[in-house]
Amino acid sequence: MTFRQFAYRNVVRNRRVYAAFFLASVFSVMVFFLYSMLMFHPGLGERFITGITVVGMTAADIILYVFTLFFLFYSMRAFMQARAGEFALLLQIGMERRQLGRLLFLEMLLLGVASIGSGIAAGFAFSKYFFMIVRELLDLPELPLYVSWQPFALTAGAFLSLFLLIGFLSSWIVRMRDINEYRKGIGASADPFGYSAAKAAAGLLLLIGAYAAALFAGRVNVLYLAVLLPPAATLGTYYFFSHTVLWLIDLMRKRKSIYWRHARLVSFAETAVKIKDNANMFFIVAIVSTVAFLSVGTLASLATYTAQYRALNPLGLVYLSQPDNPDEQAHITSLEKELKQRGLAYEEVRLTVVREQSSYSGQPLNVLRESEVNRLARVLGREGIRLKPGEGAFLPYSPDAASKLKGAEIDTVLEGSGVEVAVRGTMKEMLFPAYALGTNSIVLSETDFIKTASAHADRMYTFYAFDVPEWEETVGIGLRLSGLMSQASLDERPEDLSFYFENPGSDYAVIRSTFHLLLLTGLLVAAVFLLAAGSFIYFKLYTMLDRDRRQAAVLKRLGFTDREFVKIVNRQLVPQFFLPWGLAMLHSTFAFLSLQAIWKDLADLSIVKEMALVLVAFTIIQLLYFYLIRWRYLAHIRGPV
Amino acid sequence: MPIVQIEEVIKIYEGKVTHRALDRLSFEVEDGEFLAVMGPSGSGKTTLLNLISGIDRPTSGHIRVAGTDPSTLKPDEAARFRRQELGFIFQDFNLLRMLTVEENIVLPLTLEGMPIKEMDARMRAVAKRLGLADILHKRPDEISGGQEQRTAIARALVHRPSLVLADEPTGNLDSHAAREVLDLMATINRENGTTVVMVTHDPIAASYCDRVLFIKDGAYYNEIHRDDRRRTFFQRILNMLSLLGGNVDDLSSVRLP
Ligand SMILES: Nc1ncnc2c1ncn2[C@@H]1O[C@H](COP(=O)(O)OP(=O)(O)OP(=O)(O)O)[C@@H](O)[C@H]1O
Ligand SMILES: [Mg+2]
Repeated sequence: MTFRQFAYRNVVRNRRVYAAFFLASVFSVMVFFLYSMLMFHPGLGERFITGITVVGMTAADIILYVFTLFFLFYSMRAFMQARAGEFALLLQIGMERRQLGRLLFLEMLLLGVASIGSGIAAGFAFSKYFFMIVRELLDLPELPLYVSWQPFALTAGAFLSLFLLIGFLSSWIVRMRDINEYRKGIGASADPFGYSAAKAAAGLLLLIGAYAAALFAGRVNVLYLAVLLPPAATLGTYYFFSHTVLWLIDLMRKRKSIYWRHARLVSFAETAVKIKDNANMFFIVAIVSTVAFLSVGTLASLATYTAQYRALNPLGLVYLSQPDNPDEQAHITSLEKELKQRGLAYEEVRLTVVREQSSYSGQPLNVLRESEVNRLARVLGREGIRLKPGEGAFLPYSPDAASKLKGAEIDTVLEGSGVEVAVRGTMKEMLFPAYALGTNSIVLSETDFIKTASAHADRMYTFYAFDVPEWEETVGIGLRLSGLMSQASLDERPEDLSFYFENPGSDYAVIRSTFHLLLLTGLLVAAVFLLAAGSFIYFKLYTMLDRDRRQAAVLKRLGFTDREFVKIVNRQLVPQFFLPWGLAMLHSTFAFLSLQAIWKDLADLSIVKEMALVLVAFTIIQLLYFYLIRWRYLAHIRGPV
Repeated sequence: MPIVQIEEVIKIYEGKVTHRALDRLSFEVEDGEFLAVMGPSGSGKTTLLNLISGIDRPTSGHIRVAGTDPSTLKPDEAARFRRQELGFIFQDFNLLRMLTVEENIVLPLTLEGMPIKEMDARMRAVAKRLGLADILHKRPDEISGGQEQRTAIARALVHRPSLVLADEPTGNLDSHAAREVLDLMATINRENGTTVVMVTHDPIAASYCDRVLFIKDGAYYNEIHRDDRRRTFFQRILNMLSLLGGNVDDLSSVRLP
């Protein structure tokens, strides 16, 4: 038997120990591959010019890569623990440590190649469905399956390097260790209550302190908090798992009236053992889950931008023509034609705008006509305005501006025409956003407007406002005009254009798709974390299965009923699953509470509902996972010793 | 009145090859008796203990232990029966590593919901008797093999079972610790009247008992009773073992796990 055959048989024979590790690797490879397929999709390139999606997906790939590296490293160490006995035997019968190292390296490589192959195959098989889901989410016309070497090469290259790295690390670690370390058996420390009371208290205080501070987050201190709280919470979490939990269980242990009851003796001590043994892992799972919750929650809140967007953009299409625009009529006709072709109902309001100069501020000022503004207001179903000669009112450029300018009283002279205006307050509601006309616009009474206009025959702009009730359906209308605009801004000569065109429906579709794509990215990364976290737990259970089985056999002989036994298993599994989880929930809840404080000021978005939804979804997945793994674990542990 | 009655018991393991582990075995154990069961490796001794304790069921035949037939009990009843009537001592001690000596001993009592005071008193009494009073707060990793086995004995006795089953209790101990443990078991058997059934490969261990039962290939082979002189009893055990086939060294050699 050659050495390579030996390595091969070793993996095949140890397949049950490797199964969890293998499956989790296959899953990461698969997700990574799916992302790469999406990233290199020819259909996405044209659509998302923004580049933000590419950044998001690249980030997801990098995070996945780093996380998988960590995951593999950790699993590899757990293997070595589980197989300490085997290693000791191999070393004792005269295998050199160098050879043992090579054996491990070959094993890792073999596993790596197998999981890369299976992962890519599974990913490719799924990619059609994946694209279908993405298409639905992003509202794309079609996203066909394609074949290109890039995603394959990227995935295979990335993971091959990963497994090589892990292989080197494992063979290095095995060579560093002494045979006696293996004979003793690395792993489950028998003393579950080796903790430091000071650190236990510090962990508790850090967490409580961080939570309290997060509650008092406001706009002023949020920057300090953003710097201080994450490290404090992280350190607190670390101490919590490595010391505080053990301390709490130990407190309980000292009360015999609680501890010496039913199966508690075993289940508490067993919980302590498992937590102590896996404290580092729980810490990492808690932190990673927190990050995943936060990113998914934030993205989910951004995806609910619709209402906000509509309030800011009440118009369907906007076209502003400069005085010397030769194409005005042609452009408008083509827009109207496109709307009709789509069968979209619309109403068009034409407004004349005079660009004046205000003596009060010395700034340019857009002047609009009372009757035209009122017509637009009526079309939009908003309140109009009545002005006496000599009076004017602001045109608010946002809902916020409408309330801010309410009491404004300004007397000014329009410098070009000499018309005196007393500006009193504002229109009740905004009619169009700032981007076409700028922020400084007023409406004048009929007589005053005519006076101003006659002095400025050469400075009259025409503002076409299209009200389209089905505003989200306008995607693609005026594509040529948008193209001209983006060309001009690419050439850095926007002043050459004699018009301004805006299609909020189209813009919204892009924004929404971008957010959805990012959300999808975040969700998938979170799903990988979730699965990996569960696999960690399963994996660790698996590596201690021999010990647990022997213990189960003893308990059975001592007269534990099956129900009592399941209770013990529950009591030790629940904290493993839900303690890191619960802490991550708490972390992200408080983080969101403090985020809410600034978020509200930045934009009036309430994110409570989205967050709750995300947390509930994650909890359900976690529950399913818990039952799945409990089922497998019980099946294994009740099996023959 | 016998406390254990085994009647024509057959145990067949189904599998790739069906294996008859016990073959029409019959014997009785009197209340208060200290019985050794000997036989070559694979002769069905552990299987026998599993049937007596209701962990496993016989293929045919009857078993009565303290007035009940453990094979007719439902799983939960069997568990309750074990924790009330039986005590176990294993070759590799099987203490729970994460519990202290004290907690290991008290474990069977906690299942019964006894008042804390009484649990504590019973645990202390049995620990004192077995010389464990000074190491109650140590964990199994911090004590010697003999101490571990004494802890296991304390755990097997603390709930005052009517029958103690021991599977090679001295198999992992050096001769000094083994003698200590055997002396203790004999004393407890004599003073408390606790019935003990002990499987062993060691003729010295067997010579501590009232009677030695020999089985071969799952069937009754022979038995010898102790007389007044321990030396001749030991000699007779050796003779019987050589008759059983295989030499003595083979039988008492330490088995690999
Ligand atoms: N669960 C099982 N399934 C199938 N065969 C079994 C099972 N348990 C034991 N056997 C077989 O039954 C026979 C008796 O086994 P048992 O463990 O009772 O022997 P033993 O007398 O205790 O041996 P030792 O002295 O080596 O402990 C053996 O041949 C063994 O292979
Ligand atoms: Mg046996």
